[in-house]
Amino acid sequence: MAEPRLIRDYLAALSAQLPARIVHELADGLTETYQYYVRQGQAPDIAARSAVAEFGEPRVITAEFARAHPTRRTSRTLLMTGPAVGACWAATLITSQAWAWPIPLPARILLGLALITTIGLLATSTLGTCYRLAARAGIAGCASIVALDAAMITGAMLVMPSITWIMVAAVAASTIRMACSMRTLSGLTALHG
Amino acid sequence: MRAEELKGHLDAVLLAALEGGPRHGYAVIEALRQNTGGRLDLPTGTIYPALRRLEQAGLIAGSWSVVGGRRRREYQLTAAGRRALAGRRADWRDFSAAVTAALESRPWPSPA
Repeated sequence: MAEPRLIRDYLAALSAQLPARIVHELADGLTETYQYYVRQGQAPDIAARSAVAEFGEPRVITAEFARAHPTRRTSRTLLMTGPAVGACWAATLITSQAWAWPIPLPARILLGLALITTIGLLATSTLGTCYRLAARAGIAGCASIVALDAAMITGAMLVMPSITWIMVAAVAASTIRMACSMRTLSGLTALHG
Repeated sequence: MRAEELKGHLDAVLLAALEGGPRHGYAVIEALRQNTGGRLDLPTGTIYPALRRLEQAGLIAGSWSVVGGRRRREYQLTAAGRRALAGRRADWRDFSAAVTAALESRPWPSPA
């Protein structure tokens, strides 16, 4: 049964936002809905309108998929716990007089910019309703957290003269954060790989 | 039944719809319609992201097949999903019994 143009246009609107595997599933459901209304005696164009109305607006569906993306919950957790982890690192850097460390200025600026970018990515992942943007931001944000925490831990190990309890707390918090982010990223591979 | 009222219970309702055996998305929607006596007022397209979320949580497992030239994803409850459904049912019964008792209680006789 050939589908009316309205159904094709609707699926094209979803395809612009969602990955093919999701659109395939939605296309199956929408076609079944359309065929149900045709079996009920509706003319093809009316049946297509009924099916599309029942399915809901494409932007509502894509926003729900953005909310259901696996990186969303991790991004929200990372954003909420970020101030506490940051406070641990700030205390570590202040107590060890980090301003006197032999780290070149461009590296410090780069680290600051990376931190701001990561926060932006995590916020986009948490609040975004555009599926592709939110999903990509979530993946990039989780990967960025892993890289940032690895850089902080490595830097602290190499440069800090002695180990303090606050540094141990900061390293532990960063390690948990890295494990959480890596688990989310590997879960994505298992789901879609 | 309004979408907002159903939303808080959507996961449990979807798990219950899959209790009878594997179903694809549209069959889940039909089961929901039947189980709720046609009172389901939710854009049915939003059922699919909810199914994805349950799959990511390990409560249901999805698999692909091809039917009539279309790719179709079918879902079934996992052991964790069955346990979650049993827990949600018990919670709902407790909640429902408490609210019913409170709403249907008779006022005390007014003092003469």
